[in-house]
Amino acid sequence: MNKRQTRLFAIGGSVLAALLFLGMTLDSHRQFPKLTNAQNISPEVTLGNKVWHANNCINCHTLFGEGAYYAPDLTKITQLRGEAYLRAYLHDPAKFYDEQKVRRLMPKQDLSDADITGLIAFLDWVSKVDNQGWPPRPLLVSGSSLPGMAMTAAQQGSTTGTAATGPADTRPTTSGDNPIAQGESLFHSASPPCAACHSIAPGVNMAGPSLAGISALAEKALASGTYKGEAKNAKEFIHESIVHPSAYLEPGDMYSAAGTSFMPDTYATSLTPEQVDQLVDYLSTLK
Amino acid sequence: MRYKSQSVAYWYFAVAMALFGLQLVFGLLSAAKYLGPDPLLYILPFDVTKMIHTNLLIVWVLTGFMGATYWMVPDESRTELYSVKLAIWQLVLWTAMGLATIFGYFFRYGTGNKLLEQPLPSKIIIVVVMLMFLYNIFMTIKRSGRFTTTEGVLIGGLGLAAVLYLPALLHYENYVISIFYRWWTIHLWVEGVWEMIQGGFLAYLLIRLSGADREVMEKWLYVIVGLVFIAGIIGTAHHYYWVGVPHYWLPIGGVFSALEPVALVGMAVYAYSAIRRSGLQHPNVLALHWTVGSAVFTLFGAGLLGLAHTFPSVNKWTHGTMITAMHGHAAFYGAYAMIVLAMITYALPSLTSGRREQGSPVGYWAFWMQLGGMFGMTLSFGTAGIAQVYLERILGLGYLDTQLKIQIHFVMLIATATVFTIGVGLFIFDFFRYPPRFAVSAEPELKPRGVADA
Repeated sequence: MNKRQTRLFAIGGSVLAALLFLGMTLDSHRQFPKLTNAQNISPEVTLGNKVWHANNCINCHTLFGEGAYYAPDLTKITQLRGEAYLRAYLHDPAKFYDEQKVRRLMPKQDLSDADITGLIAFLDWVSKVDNQGWPPRPLLVSGSSLPGMAMTAAQQGSTTGTAATGPADTRPTTSGDNPIAQGESLFHSASPPCAACHSIAPGVNMAGPSLAGISALAEKALASGTYKGEAKNAKEFIHESIVHPSAYLEPGDMYSAAGTSFMPDTYATSLTPEQVDQLVDYLSTLK
Repeated sequence: MRYKSQSVAYWYFAVAMALFGLQLVFGLLSAAKYLGPDPLLYILPFDVTKMIHTNLLIVWVLTGFMGATYWMVPDESRTELYSVKLAIWQLVLWTAMGLATIFGYFFRYGTGNKLLEQPLPSKIIIVVVMLMFLYNIFMTIKRSGRFTTTEGVLIGGLGLAAVLYLPALLHYENYVISIFYRWWTIHLWVEGVWEMIQGGFLAYLLIRLSGADREVMEKWLYVIVGLVFIAGIIGTAHHYYWVGVPHYWLPIGGVFSALEPVALVGMAVYAYSAIRRSGLQHPNVLALHWTVGSAVFTLFGAGLLGLAHTFPSVNKWTHGTMITAMHGHAAFYGAYAMIVLAMITYALPSLTSGRREQGSPVGYWAFWMQLGGMFGMTLSFGTAGIAQVYLERILGLGYLDTQLKIQIHFVMLIATATVFTIGVGLFIFDFFRYPPRFAVSAEPELKPRGVADA
C-alpha cells in the first residue's frame, strides 16, 4: 500500500463506520419511547432527574451501572425498597447505617419532601426502563442472599446477635430511631434471627421462603379465598405470620407439615408488641 | 528549539504540571475515603473529591495537548506561530476557567453529569478557548503553506475533539437519551479523536527521536487512524450495554470493541519497529522511554484491560464495579498522561537552561516509579474488582458488606498510589528545577546507535 491508499483507507473506513453508527442512532431514537416508557416521564420524574443531578448523586452511586463505584447501584432500588423506606432513608441516612461499622456513610442531603418524592419517582421510572435484563441477579445494598455471609467471623461464632453487636451491615438502633430502621435491625438480631431462614432477595428461598415482595404476596393470599386467618390487610397478615406462623401456610413440603409451619412460634413471647410492629413496618417496605 | 514562539509551550506545560500534582491530591483523598470512616464527610465528601480528580485530569491533559501542539506545529510547518499573544491569552482564560470551575465544585456548582459536570458558563468558555486555539494553529499553517500528514492527523484530532464537545451542551429530559449523547463526547474523545492526537504526537516523536523515514511513518499513521475509527466509532456500543437502548447494541459492542485493540497493537508495533529499524538515536533517551512507554502502556491499559471486560457476557457481571476503575486508570495514564509527559520530556531540554539533553537520574526515577506505581494501582483495582464481582454480583452479598471484605485491596491501592505520587512529584521537581529559556537553539543531532554521548 502506498500513502494515498492508506489515506483512502483511513478516511473511507471512518466515514463508513460513522454512517453505520448514525443509522443505528436513528433507529435507537425510533425505539427510545417504548424502551424507556417515555410517556411516564411525568413532571415529578423530571424534578427527580434535576434533584439527581443537582446533588451530584452519580459521583458516588451508579445508575444503570454508570457513575462512581463508591456507593450502591440504584438502578432497581425501588423494586427492592419501598417508598416509606427510601423517604425515611433520604431524610437521614445515618439512622440506617453506622459509619463506624460500614466505614462509609451517605452525607445527609438538603432535600425537601417534594424533592424526595421526585427523586423516588425518577428512580422508579429508571427501574422500569428496558435495560437488556441487567443486573442478572438483584444487587443488594446490604445483607446477603446466602445466610451468614454478611457476618464477621466472630458473629458467625455466636448463633444469635444482639442489637448492640448486630451483623456488620446494620446500625445499632435506639428507641428514638425510625421504626423501619429498628425493624431491619431486629430482622438480624431477634432470637432466632429472621435472617437465618429468610432472605430478602427475590427468588432466594432458604429454610423459609424469600420475603422479597411480602406485601404483594400477602395481598394475593388475602384475596385467594383459601386464607383462613384473621388478617384484613397486608400489615395485619405479616403481623399474624410472625406471632402465629401456622395461620397461613406457604405451599411446599419444606415449609410445613400436618398444618403446622416449621417456623418457630416463639416470637409472640420473645419479642415485645412494639418490636413486632417494627418488624412489620420493615417487612412491609420490601418490594 | 528552532522557532522562538515555540517557547510558549513552556507555560502550558508548567500549568499542566501544577494541575497534575493537584489531581493526585484529590485522587489520594478519594482513595482514603474507601478505607473510611471519613472525617471530611460534611466538608469535602467523596463525590466532590472524585469529581475534582477526574475533571483535573481532563483539564491538565488538554493543557498538555495544547502546549505540545504549540511546540510541534512550528517545527512541522517550519514557521513561527501566528500569534504568541493569542496563545498566552488563551492559556490565561483556560486556566482561570479551570480553577473557577474546580472552586465551584466545592459548592456543588455543577451539573452532576459524570465527567461533563462543568456548568454552562464554563462549557461556553471551553468552546471559546478551543476556537482561539484552532484559529491560531490554522493561521500558522496557512501562513507557512507547509502542512504535513503528522500535523494533519493532530489537527484533525483536535478539531474533532472541539466538535464532539458540542453534544455535551445539549440537555435531554429523557435520562437514557442524555446517557446516549454523553458518550458521544466521552467515548469518541478517548477512544477516537484523542487517540488520533496521541497518534500524531507519537509519529512526530518517533520521527524526531529515531530518525525513522517520514514517508513510511506517515503511511502507517493513516492505517492506525483508520483502525482507530473503524473500531472506535461503532465501539461506542460497549457504553450502551444495560442503559436502555435497543438490544442489538450488545452484539455490535462485543464485536467492534474487540477490534479496538488492533489499532493499539498497531501503535505499539509501530513505535517498537521505528526504534529497531532505524540505526540512529537521538540523545534524549528519556523522551524515548516515555514515547515507547506510552505506546506499550496504552496497549496494556486501554487494549488488554479493556478487552478483558468488553464482551456483554462478561460485562453483565463486571459492569459498574472496580473493574471499570482498573481499566480507566491504566488506559488514561498510558494513552494520554504518558504521551503528554513524552512531549514535555522531548521539548524540555531546549525550553530550560542547564538541563542535559539525555535526561537526569531524577527523570529516570520519575519514569520508573510512575510506571511501577500505576501498574500496582491497576493490580489493586483489578483484584478489588474481581473479588467484588464474585462476592457481590455472583454470590449476592450486599454492596456494603462486599466493600468491607475487600478493604485490603484499598490499602494496597493507597500504598501503590503513594509510589506513583512520588514518581509524579519527582517529574514535577525535575520540570521546575531549571529556569526557563526563551532563545532559539540548535537541534541536537541524531547519532548512530551505540555511540556514547559526550
